[in-house]
Amino acid sequence: MKGLTAMRTAERGLQSECQARKCPHRDPVVADMISSRSFLGDLRVSGFKIFFTVLSVFGVAAVIILLSSSAYAISGRQVYEKVHELRSKSLDREIESTMILFDKNGGKRTRTLVEFSKKADPEAYKVLVVFKSPPDLKNVGFLIHAHTFSDRDLWAYFPENKRVRRIATNSQDDSFFGSDLSYDDFGGPPNLDDYHFSLLKEEAIDGKPCYVVEVTPKIHRKYTKYRAWVAKDLWLQLKIEYYQDDSIYRSGLFQDVRVIDGIPTPFKIEMENRKTKHRTELTLERVHYHTHFPDDLFTQRSLERAGK
Amino acid sequence: MRHKKSVALILLGISLLYLSCPAPIIHADEALNVSGRLDLRGAVYQENDSVKEAPGLEGRIKLDSEVSSWRFHSWLEGGWDGMVKRPPRDHSLFKNYDEIYQSNSPYLEFKELYVTHSSGALDLRAGIQRFAWGRLDEYPLNDLLNPWDYTQFLRKPLEDRKIGVPSVSATLNKNDWTYEAVWVPVFVPYRLPMPDERWSGSSLASLIVQTLPNAKIELQEPVLPDRKIENSSVCMRIKHAGDIEWALNLFHGYDPRPVFRTTALTIIPQGDAILIDPGYIPAFHRISAVGMDAAAVRGDLSIRAEAAYSFNRYLNIRQELWGYPVVPLPGTYPLNPIEQEHDTLDYGIGADHRLFEDGLLTMQAQQTIIFGNVELLYERKIETILWANLKVGWMNQKIDTNVNIAYNPEHGDRMARANAWYVFSDAFKAGITVRTFHGPSQSLFGRFSQNDQVDAEAIYSW
Repeated sequence: MKGLTAMRTAERGLQSECQARKCPHRDPVVADMISSRSFLGDLRVSGFKIFFTVLSVFGVAAVIILLSSSAYAISGRQVYEKVHELRSKSLDREIESTMILFDKNGGKRTRTLVEFSKKADPEAYKVLVVFKSPPDLKNVGFLIHAHTFSDRDLWAYFPENKRVRRIATNSQDDSFFGSDLSYDDFGGPPNLDDYHFSLLKEEAIDGKPCYVVEVTPKIHRKYTKYRAWVAKDLWLQLKIEYYQDDSIYRSGLFQDVRVIDGIPTPFKIEMENRKTKHRTELTLERVHYHTHFPDDLFTQRSLERAGK
Repeated sequence: MRHKKSVALILLGISLLYLSCPAPIIHADEALNVSGRLDLRGAVYQENDSVKEAPGLEGRIKLDSEVSSWRFHSWLEGGWDGMVKRPPRDHSLFKNYDEIYQSNSPYLEFKELYVTHSSGALDLRAGIQRFAWGRLDEYPLNDLLNPWDYTQFLRKPLEDRKIGVPSVSATLNKNDWTYEAVWVPVFVPYRLPMPDERWSGSSLASLIVQTLPNAKIELQEPVLPDRKIENSSVCMRIKHAGDIEWALNLFHGYDPRPVFRTTALTIIPQGDAILIDPGYIPAFHRISAVGMDAAAVRGDLSIRAEAAYSFNRYLNIRQELWGYPVVPLPGTYPLNPIEQEHDTLDYGIGADHRLFEDGLLTMQAQQTIIFGNVELLYERKIETILWANLKVGWMNQKIDTNVNIAYNPEHGDRMARANAWYVFSDAFKAGITVRTFHGPSQSLFGRFSQNDQVDAEAIYSW
């Protein structure tokens, strides 16, 4: 700073002298000082330019950041917290549904089933699913006791064996009795801490604005990630795509959304296996919420009695 | 005549019980529910000189009705049994609870017929019932309440072999505990095939039938234990649900597993035929069995274990020691006593492992320890069965395949079975099963060495 002040003082002196004499300086020292002055002047000019350039760049960047952050005022995690909240609210329910399996040749098989579900705790739930048809699956059932959203016990009952069998939970992503839905699809909401969430964009599905969230499991699952289109106003998944590495292997649509007892509910779910071209349609026939079933409906005894 | 009265009384009792319930309010979803199936079956044989079976057509009808706290259930089975020789030995229509040898075709049988009353945590059930205690597959050690029908022994699945028994049961569920008690007031014997039927296995009687075409085997029906309280069976089971589910079982009653006593070999020429009484009769002994079973999930495995200690169980000595003459000529030959009393300990462990989606591997190992001197028995001190089954579903379970092998290392006998089912529609499926048996003639699987075959089956359900 002191050097610069000295140079500026010298500059002013030289400027005064030059103005008085109107002549260039032959003194090399002065000439040097003049050239230094020019350099300094250039330096000052270029410095301001740099300063303003940098200021401009930062300013633009700041504007961009501000604009973008105000466009996604919510994170992917926050979207799923809302989805989780809705799914938790809907845990006390009874649903009768029809499931139609379509193979790629057009052949179809029909199942009817009833699902009983109960919220057991802030982080626990119980589910009983029993098949009503076809004859081969009549009274076949499975029971889930979730101690937390990530810790579950599963049982299956096959009337032909008259035995309740415990099932390892690594089957949760497997096909549910030949359909394109998985056992996990019939369970309650997952533990959010088991996943990474990333909000990708916003997009409309059937005119409904949605957040598109990419969900990546932290633990090993059949899928490497899935993308879900979550309706902004309903906090309901309207579309979902499951990936194995970079290719979609399963995709689903959730349609015919109706509000039942204050809970948005898709009455038609279509799931397709993109690799095998097999498709499943699940149509809800009857839905009741806030059912408050007793605990003894979710026992092995009840499983053996087909929920009766 | 006695069995007809027994069946009639049981049906009358159940009807009265059902009709005595409070005036029902019948809702649409509690109306009578009827389901059933038809099963058409035929076989092609590996061994040309083995006993043949005719194609069979069998069916079942199930009725279920629920009114208030009462439930009625019946399972009626019947048809034309291709195993039974023509003309059938027994011309009665209904299977009864009084005879061991019931080769009747056509036939009817109530596999199950009971009424259940549920009141809170208590279920009371009376009628013809089948139970499934224990955890292991194929040969559950604590599953002693129902005798088996051995007429199609290793062809039929386990539950289809069971004979329903008239019984009363009570089940109390309290939180994680289940208490079950069963009383079987009348003794129900197992059923055996005739020696000229395909699944009689290798025995002296069947050997005679195969080698002497004009031999007529006269098997003696045993005198059953008197139908009184002292001869009933009582069983209890206490089960606890939890991370490890476990149960304790207690059985006191007649051993449902076949064992024989001897009389005398009798050979009587009768014109062109030879009448032969092979000289062995089913014997019945009371046993007590204490057992436990457990199940848990650990990692990717669903594990099951079971054990049962049987007191005063009777086993037969080796057939070569029964005292049959080397050259059987017409006459009467007293035979040796063939029963020995032993305590036995049965135990086993099994596990399910999901290999891949729709691919389940089940493995099981079980052993029987026979206490005391086993020198005269065919069985060794320790008998082992190793068993594995691979079940795979294809094309979203439109095709279902199973490969099953069982092996007894002590005697080297083994069984292999592979089947494939194709589901044409929700109501109709068809399948093929290949079976093969190897081993010594007195071993569990080896006695059916002549029974290698390919079955074709079509099932229509509604």
